[in-house]
Amino acid sequence: MMRMRSRTRTAVLAYLIVIISLIFFILPMLWIGYTSFRTQPSIFSGQVISPSSEYTLQNYETVLSVADFPQYFWNSIEIGAIVTLVSLFASIIGAYSLSRFDIKWKNALIIGIFSTQMFPQVLLIIPMYLVVFSLSLLDKVIGVVLGQLILVLPFQIWMLKGYFDNLPLDLDEAARIDGCNIPERLLHVILPVAAPGISVAAFYSFVVSWGDYLIVSVISQSQRTATVTLIMQRLSASLLIRWGEVAAVTILAIVPTILLFSFIQGRLVAGLTAGAIREE
Amino acid sequence: MSAGETIRLTKRIHRFPIIKESQQGVLLLLPALIVIAVFTVYPLLDGLRMALTDRNLLRDSVDYIGLDNFKRMFLDNIFWLSLEHSLVLTTVVVVLQFVLGLVLAWAMNQNLPGMGVFKSIIMASWVIPVAATVTMFKFMAQPDIGFINIALKSIGFANLNRYWFGDLTTALPFIILLHLWRNVPFYGIAFLAAMQAIPKSYYEAAEIDGAGAWDRFRHITLPGIRNMIIVMVTIHVLWTFNNFDFVWLATGGGPVNATDVLPTYVYRQSWSQYDLGYAASMGTVMLVILMVYFIVYMRVFERQERA
Repeated sequence: MMRMRSRTRTAVLAYLIVIISLIFFILPMLWIGYTSFRTQPSIFSGQVISPSSEYTLQNYETVLSVADFPQYFWNSIEIGAIVTLVSLFASIIGAYSLSRFDIKWKNALIIGIFSTQMFPQVLLIIPMYLVVFSLSLLDKVIGVVLGQLILVLPFQIWMLKGYFDNLPLDLDEAARIDGCNIPERLLHVILPVAAPGISVAAFYSFVVSWGDYLIVSVISQSQRTATVTLIMQRLSASLLIRWGEVAAVTILAIVPTILLFSFIQGRLVAGLTAGAIREE
Repeated sequence: MSAGETIRLTKRIHRFPIIKESQQGVLLLLPALIVIAVFTVYPLLDGLRMALTDRNLLRDSVDYIGLDNFKRMFLDNIFWLSLEHSLVLTTVVVVLQFVLGLVLAWAMNQNLPGMGVFKSIIMASWVIPVAATVTMFKFMAQPDIGFINIALKSIGFANLNRYWFGDLTTALPFIILLHLWRNVPFYGIAFLAAMQAIPKSYYEAAEIDGAGAWDRFRHITLPGIRNMIIVMVTIHVLWTFNNFDFVWLATGGGPVNATDVLPTYVYRQSWSQYDLGYAASMGTVMLVILMVYFIVYMRVFERQERA
């Protein structure tokens, strides 16, 4: 009897936490989505519900027909895709090397790579701007990509190393005895087994690149390289804000990451924290 | 003998082991190391050097001025204010995230109907761009038309109507709110993953011994997720202290420096004043603070490990 009552109490408390969490974490996204379908007068009426005549697709039409926005959207995708490909390549082979080979100063290297997370980005960006400038890469896609790589690489290497550490060594050993060289082993043996972890790493780098503001704000100088985050900041900093259109832009910026997230969410945390949970 | 085996065999014969495997291992690390060297290590060293100069983007001449930037910092009230905000923000944010993350993980760890769906959507806030998060909250915080003020009005608090990011007393708490919104679900899901790796038998044994819920939490759950706690807290202290986007996009450091943190102040000095030398010297102070934290934290953690 006592036990039953304490179980019910636990369930009530847990559901209470769930409901409060849903309101706090999900409602803001629904609210901005709802706003993106309202007309300016209806938003400014200060009412939650408006007459049905005041719902519209106009905000999306305006945003998508303004010549600039599709360009920014494309820039974000292009930069995100290149960052993802390059960082995946570098971090997979780097993490594999740290996980499987007996390298001199290995521990120092691992700590060194991890501790770059400690470096203030606002400090790094000053000399980095000068490096990118001297390579004539300012306002070039490749300049933004190189800058964003440092946001992604250290954490990605750390997490993939953790993931590889959890894969049995026998896999490589068997392939090695079979005469596979290192690239063959990676491509045919490790990659297929590590696909879940690698997809999380890919997701992580795309999301970081897609959401980056700091690097783009310094290296991008024109609409050739400006991204969605940059334009979002400009729109919501202007004096008379057209909230309907801002909401539409926000939704367009959110949707790609949410879509990718819906594919990956089951393994997201296991992948991200592979370095923290050791399988015994 | 199949074709594949023939190829493999000939390869084996022709491949001369010139490079030992461990050396090939180093080669695999090279691409990452080169990028990190050129875009992180070199900028870091150059930044530390620049902290000793009067480098300004608007001037061509650069002189070494010793520790003058640091003396200037000592007398700069906005620097001290930003430092204070940075320390307070990081401490409050990480502590609240940790506690709320535990609460969330506890709730999700109860095997109740509907929890699966909840778990699968709750981390959405972590994956969307910070700029989008900030825009959403700026809109909700608008006077008269924002959700927060509409909701307050409907329960009789119309007198509280204000732009919450533009108010001297509420701007900083709202920045904290942004951090919580983004990261608490991540903490929750990460702690949950660690909790589920704890063998059920531990709890059963404890229950037989008559241990209460709190004792079980204190002596089984907490030690069981210790590694995860260490990782989450360490990276979030670094990420929060260095975070630039939230404050910059939400308030730009205002109103009148009420939300200025070191990253936004350094950014303004570099890209509004073009005073790279002074900005770099403050960036150096940030780095020193984080290094001290890191070393102290590691010491404490190692001592616990031994005990």
